[in-house]
Amino acid sequence: MKNAITVLRKNTMIFVLVLVFLFFTLMTKGQMFTALNFNALITQNAYVYILATGMLMCMLTGGNIDLSCGSFVCFVGAIGGICMVTKEMGTGISILIMLLVGIVYGSILGFIIAYMNIPPWIATLAGYLAFRGWATALLSANSSTGSIAPFPKSYLSIFSGKIFETAIGVFNVPCMVIGVITCAVVIAVMIMGRKNRVKKGYEVESMAAMIAKMVIAVAVILLFAYKLAFSGGLPTVLLWVVAVVLVYQFITSKTTIGRYFYTIGGNKEATRLSGIDTKKIMFMAYLNMAVLTVISAFTVVARFQAANATAGTNFEMDAISACVVGGVSAYGGSGTVFGMVVGATLIGVINLGMSLMGVDANWQRVIKGVVLLAAVVFEILNNKDKMKD
Amino acid sequence: MENIKIADVLKKYTMVIALILVIIFFQVGTEGKILFAQNINNLISQNAYVFVLATGMLLCILTGGNIDLSVGSIVCFVGGIGAVMMSNGNNMILAVIVMLVIGLLVGMFQGFWIAYIKVPPFIATLAGMYAFRGLSNVVLQGYAVSVTDTAFLNIFGGGAECYIPDFFGGETMNMTCLIAGVLIAAVYILVTVKTRISRKKKGYETGSLTGDAVKAVVISALIIWLFYKLANFRGISAALIWIALILLIYSYITNKTTIGRYLYAVGGNEKATRLSGVNTKRVYFFAYANMGLLAGLAGILTIARAASAQPTYGQGYEMDAIAACFIGGASAYGGVGSVMGMVVGATLMGVINQGMSIMGINANYQSVVKGLVLLIAIIFDVMSKKEKN
Repeated sequence: MKNAITVLRKNTMIFVLVLVFLFFTLMTKGQMFTALNFNALITQNAYVYILATGMLMCMLTGGNIDLSCGSFVCFVGAIGGICMVTKEMGTGISILIMLLVGIVYGSILGFIIAYMNIPPWIATLAGYLAFRGWATALLSANSSTGSIAPFPKSYLSIFSGKIFETAIGVFNVPCMVIGVITCAVVIAVMIMGRKNRVKKGYEVESMAAMIAKMVIAVAVILLFAYKLAFSGGLPTVLLWVVAVVLVYQFITSKTTIGRYFYTIGGNKEATRLSGIDTKKIMFMAYLNMAVLTVISAFTVVARFQAANATAGTNFEMDAISACVVGGVSAYGGSGTVFGMVVGATLIGVINLGMSLMGVDANWQRVIKGVVLLAAVVFEILNNKDKMKD
Repeated sequence: MENIKIADVLKKYTMVIALILVIIFFQVGTEGKILFAQNINNLISQNAYVFVLATGMLLCILTGGNIDLSVGSIVCFVGGIGAVMMSNGNNMILAVIVMLVIGLLVGMFQGFWIAYIKVPPFIATLAGMYAFRGLSNVVLQGYAVSVTDTAFLNIFGGGAECYIPDFFGGETMNMTCLIAGVLIAAVYILVTVKTRISRKKKGYETGSLTGDAVKAVVISALIIWLFYKLANFRGISAALIWIALILLIYSYITNKTTIGRYLYAVGGNEKATRLSGVNTKRVYFFAYANMGLLAGLAGILTIARAASAQPTYGQGYEMDAIAACFIGGASAYGGVGSVMGMVVGATLMGVINQGMSIMGINANYQSVVKGLVLLIAIIFDVMSKKEKN
């Protein structure tokens, strides 16, 4: 019995996700479960996963956030539009310019926050305001409609569309094959990881628990692969999301620098006194955030096939919510990439489900706000309980 | 010795000097238009909401650099409710009371989570920012609702008649306004003298006599000049009276009352304050409940000024209020800041906005400038603190 409660507690958000998904599947009479909506879930929320990964790194350092990422997505999109459409520069060079803009902004922001000790939310609030205005001004100066399009095919095919695309409803074999290969990799990694831990004499979970986990993971991957195979193939953007998530999963759990992010969030002073350059870590958190924001902007521009003045509105909110709902502490020091992925998916499911049910966009905003507040309160109360134990 | 003194004065009044320089800059840039009587009166009416919101924000910031991101949405929500009530034929007094009570309730709701559950303020109010923006749309059903109640408009500073009538029937000039200006200047000098005498009596430190005298003369001259300008254009507006009322009340609260001093104490050192027996939770709760109430008042002033309520009202207001506080010298870490400083900050922002509008600068670049001004002010603040240490 106690075991069941621990499992429940450790994986609360996964259970909530499953329940919410079932709820919307029922309410939409199965519409939620169609191949097209699986595809929509991924393509519509790709930006959330990427931004939330960057936000996670910022939040780990002590609950610090970046309010400017939404406006910066818009700004980078405008730069890309000017490069590729107005000035007709090459795709490669344009992408490099956009990345460079991100690195420059990230460095400035990181410098201001890390070395000048400006509170992050003020520094990024200034960016939030400035970049929205600047982007709008740039867009209206370069286009009569305030939106720059069409982007070249070579660009769109890198960040949107599908791999080995087939007609919708036709079973896409490459997609399923990739799904099966992924399953094999996941199983191999889990077994190897366990062996390694046993060898080193670390604590391991019970065999049954691992097999259960494995079965669930394989089932979810196969379900996605199967559904996506019927929606025309694997969305290109999914590859970007998976790449970002895997890289940061590795950084946060396996590298020294990744552990530093946690220790700073846990106790900044102690970390500094143990000889770690805390300023450098803060600097990197925000530089990294800006670079990921650019990658997110790539996918957003490609999805809409245009650079708009309204692009990126409220993205900061989505990223922060994904982290907080995914169990990232609002005070820093704890949170995982996997948790964030669950949080982002949960929010994506809620958004998609509400849209399918025809819930008014304004109520959607209200519900988003309530979910964010509820998740934080839940996390704080849960931690309080833990401390009492 | 003399040199050090001048440096001290410069440091103490940096923002006042910056304000004067900015006014001179725009005076030249707009060929004198910025100091037209009508423009000065407009500056006051247009920025009434900034003064009111920034007062509330100041109290939140004092408690430790905490902010309220939801005020813009609350302004819109409260304004929407009031406009809908009045257009449904409800009594104006009832509408005003309902608006203030709802503002207060919203503030208490957020204050509860922040003070008693310890939800980080920026997350709690970010949730509020989205939820109440959505709710305002629900209340207004996406439309603009006009406010036609003339009594309401006159009292809260909307329409052409919202000025104090001239009791003395001045021909070219509003005599009431001019007399009021002289009286206020006289009261100011009296209070200064009285304070000085009472400080001397109690043996407190007092500034140099010449310093105080110069200050009193400059300020009274400014007051008389301001009212002379106002007298040339319709006189004292209702908005000015509301601003003055709020500033006086909160100057008193922050300087002379126990709860006011607690705000500073909590921001200076929360733990020490708690250990000396102050209920710090109640102080946080007070700050946010009060913020809600003032957001309610700002909502009233906003819909009166525009004579309507629209779902887009209040966007970016939180930014204006926060910027006014920081430019006015409030510390981003709490514990430092004054109502008078905030007034200078709010005026500076207002002058910059109006100057740029008169010069015909694109509205998008205005938000870029706003962001930069905020950033510069905060960097300046943090840097000058470092030197002190």
